[in-house]
Amino acid sequence: MMKKVGDVILCLLALAVPSLARADSVWVLKPSTLTYHVSHPLHHVEGVSHAARGKGECHAGICNFLAAVPVKSFDSGDTNRDLHMLQVVRGAQFPLVVVRTQLPESDLKGGSIEADLTVTFAGETAHYQRVPLKLVPEGKDLRVVGTIPTTVSDFKIKPPELLAMPISNNIPVDVDMTWEER
Amino acid sequence: MDSRALKLAAQILLFSQIVCTTVRAQNSGATLSGTVTDASGSPVSNAKIIVSNVFSGQTADTRSDASGHYTISKLGSGSYEMTVVAEGFPSAAYRAVLASGSAKTLNIQLVNPAGDSADSASPAQSSGQEPSLSGLGFPSSMIKGNPKEQALLNKRSHMLQIHQKLGMITVGAMVAALIASPGAKGHHGEPGGATGRNVHMALGATTAGLYAATAYFALAAPRVPGVKVRGPIRLHKAMAWIHGPGMIMTAVLGAMAYSQLSNGERVHGIAKYHSTAAIVTAAALGTAVFSVSYKF
Repeated sequence: MMKKVGDVILCLLALAVPSLARADSVWVLKPSTLTYHVSHPLHHVEGVSHAARGKGECHAGICNFLAAVPVKSFDSGDTNRDLHMLQVVRGAQFPLVVVRTQLPESDLKGGSIEADLTVTFAGETAHYQRVPLKLVPEGKDLRVVGTIPTTVSDFKIKPPELLAMPISNNIPVDVDMTWEER
Repeated sequence: MDSRALKLAAQILLFSQIVCTTVRAQNSGATLSGTVTDASGSPVSNAKIIVSNVFSGQTADTRSDASGHYTISKLGSGSYEMTVVAEGFPSAAYRAVLASGSAKTLNIQLVNPAGDSADSASPAQSSGQEPSLSGLGFPSSMIKGNPKEQALLNKRSHMLQIHQKLGMITVGAMVAALIASPGAKGHHGEPGGATGRNVHMALGATTAGLYAATAYFALAAPRVPGVKVRGPIRLHKAMAWIHGPGMIMTAVLGAMAYSQLSNGERVHGIAKYHSTAAIVTAAALGTAVFSVSYKF
């Protein structure tokens, strides 16, 4: 009789922790686009990078994603501006922008989600809670689109000036990433 | 239902209650433990380990014992940033993700002050369940910082900021000199008074001096190797081939015109082109400023 009870309990435990039965999965970032926006009273500047690399690892229903992009890979169309940006954001000393997030594996099916992001940039780390992201399944790939509401003050960056006028504190970054499941 | 069946049901219910209570107890707090060692693998005692929940802000700390072992318990689930501080070592940062009620082992190997590692530039290292920067395939030069390159960029930006400010002052002085020019030339073909000439000459000389200083800070700013010049800055630099010689010509012709007027003569010869040279120089300088001020 006790053996039967033991079997029942084992079954109950197996049902209670279904995540243990799930297989791990790995995601790799395909060529993607990140665009920062800088506003100045005289003009608006966009810098684009296609050099991001990333990886995601899922275990027991929880996925940890890491994406990084070299600061110097952002191109605003003007060498002088890019070099000045690199200096202002301490890009030679801290060459990568790193974004980390943790998502339930169930969120990866697609749709609109809110993610908690940890961004490390210019030697500082900032946390952004409930950032709206749109996840669009494209075959085996997953396209992620959204905007990270970054500001220069979050990373202790002194706003650069042009003609004695500083840029706006807001430097939102648009992300358009495609992750491939492997 | 007979008494045996009722007894069995009661036993299952009781057992389930015990299991559930145990599970709840385990879920009440996660535990993080491990061993702190140095680069040679020897235990590091009295190292302070501080963990901070990224979102809730919950913090906890402990110290490693004589065998380097540490344990922090009763932690909530979530992402944690972990800082390890030990005497004689640079502080190290790690990350850990704790599930509710879990027990995670995170062994920490501190890097010697003179040591180095591929992830040394990253603010946080993986706890094992998270992907790491070193696994993304970036060259190590991209992961590590380069303080020398940063110093070069800082010097370059500092000099170009002075260039920019001096340039704006130069434009102001040049505009003032242009406004004062009728006082030097006079009216209806008659030479102007000495005061008008002197004011114009003083403003012109000030403009030339400021221009020289502005140009110095642009020319002496360090170059960044391997950078191909692109964008509106090319027009800004191209304009220097006009306003540079133009500024010299304006000054030389202005001195000639000043001398002629001071001798009671009318401006003649190539000195007549002082105004033209000044206007072309001002236009080129204005275009140079405009090219880096507006996006087009």
